[in-house]
Amino acid sequence: MTAAIPTIAEAARLIAARRLSPVELTRACLDRVHALDDRLHAFVHLTEERALAEARAAEAAIMAGGANGPLHGIPIGLKDIVDTKGIPTTCQSKILQDNIPDADASCAEKLAAAGTVLIGKTTTHEFADGGPSFDLPRPPARNPWDTAHFTAGSSSGTGAGVAAGLILGGIGTDTGGSIRGPAALCGIAGIKPTYGLVSRAGVAPAAFSLDHIGPMAWTAEDCALMLQVLAGHDPRDPASAAHPVPDYTALLGTGIKGIRIGVVHHFHEVDYKVTDGVRSGIDAAIATFRGLGAEIREVHLSPLQDWGACGSLISITERAAAYEEWGRTRLRDFSERVQRRLMLGALVSGVDYVQAVRRRRELRAELHAAMAELDVVLTASQTGEAPKIDEVPKWDTFAVPSFTMPFNVAGYPAITVCAGFGAGGLPVAIQLVGKPFQEPTVLRVADAFEKATPFRDARPSLATTSLPA
Amino acid sequence: MPADISDQALDFLLARAGLDLSDAEKAELKTVYAGIAQMAERVRQPRGRMAELAHVYNFTASDLREDPA
Repeated sequence: MTAAIPTIAEAARLIAARRLSPVELTRACLDRVHALDDRLHAFVHLTEERALAEARAAEAAIMAGGANGPLHGIPIGLKDIVDTKGIPTTCQSKILQDNIPDADASCAEKLAAAGTVLIGKTTTHEFADGGPSFDLPRPPARNPWDTAHFTAGSSSGTGAGVAAGLILGGIGTDTGGSIRGPAALCGIAGIKPTYGLVSRAGVAPAAFSLDHIGPMAWTAEDCALMLQVLAGHDPRDPASAAHPVPDYTALLGTGIKGIRIGVVHHFHEVDYKVTDGVRSGIDAAIATFRGLGAEIREVHLSPLQDWGACGSLISITERAAAYEEWGRTRLRDFSERVQRRLMLGALVSGVDYVQAVRRRRELRAELHAAMAELDVVLTASQTGEAPKIDEVPKWDTFAVPSFTMPFNVAGYPAITVCAGFGAGGLPVAIQLVGKPFQEPTVLRVADAFEKATPFRDARPSLATTSLPA
Repeated sequence: MPADISDQALDFLLARAGLDLSDAEKAELKTVYAGIAQMAERVRQPRGRMAELAHVYNFTASDLREDPA
């Protein structure tokens, strides 16, 4: 293999048919890592020897008895806040440079059991917070569509790595949009599942009640394949849901005729005006859905700023609590951006926090009522294309409202998929939101959109032109 | 909640949080205080004292099956 980058689904079919070697696939990914990662910085730690050993083991097992599932032999990355037994897990922080966990996080364990091949630990904002920092042990990840630009975060390395084909899929975490932001700006798919669907055990917290773990991949179908392995109750996570795990691929390809989609126009037209490119992407997506037989309706929710205030106050406070000890004793060992975030914790009172959590109940009830006669909600995912990496505001909590945070506040499942390219030639995206535990419907709609549009056909030129033949 | 904060009040909050900041950092933090105050106002709705918070506590089946010994 050279420049061709398969999706997980494509690779799985070829591997199962013994027409693609997991070892060759892994070597192709590693070749791309070696060719591109000095520009992308998608990885903080490579596990090359382990990857090749796992690929050889997968190949031997498949040749002997067949693949044990669609992830068998698939190269992936794990965000570096995910504990990995015997492998450094630094959270991109000076504080944890020597941290080598003695157990895998639940999500890492499940993906390993499914036969995936771990290429390495992917770049994150420090403790999944703060933004692109240049005062950390490793540089921030760069956007493969233009390396002068930001990936969004905090699952920045997974976003860049998937888009450039260094990995076929990976783990992201999402407290206010950290899966969906990088998915949007890197032009891939990323789903934040329902709160509690995927175990948080062994993953460094950002804000306990807003944290979600989920897959990032080139397509919604690939996200479905990964979610199948990741979902399920885990007693090690006190928020883990005891909910049956359905077949997340069962509805893919069944069409969306009659699906009811509610569009929250006021989020991106009134509450915060997105760029023309994003708005065009949303309008074209609505037309696509209508053409596929979906029924389009209008939805009104509380202003984006209300959701943002609720989520931000909870996030600031829970983060300050989680990292209070190090904030008091090792503040200067954090990046400047995270120092600022921790400082904000001093400004939020206990009563502010409780009022935010009461507001959260009201907002969730509001979304529940608004979706009573709907299957999914469609919103913007980001305000525009990726900004230059050195132009990201240092107090970004207050810069622009988040289109993704509302669904961390509600805990509802939400996926971001590519909806085209803006004036700068960088990806723009839409966000599709489902009811709790209705990931099959969210993935069905996202998959139908991807298959009806040409945006999955083009990879970043860097990923297809910079490799040895 | 007022949209600005006095130096004395900020010093108190930072001391309580155990954060030791430079004067420049304190000045910078004061510039974003209005943003926090605005958020705190937004989450306050006329809701009465009975309105519950989202994070409720209950006993799960596994809690009830636990052996106290």
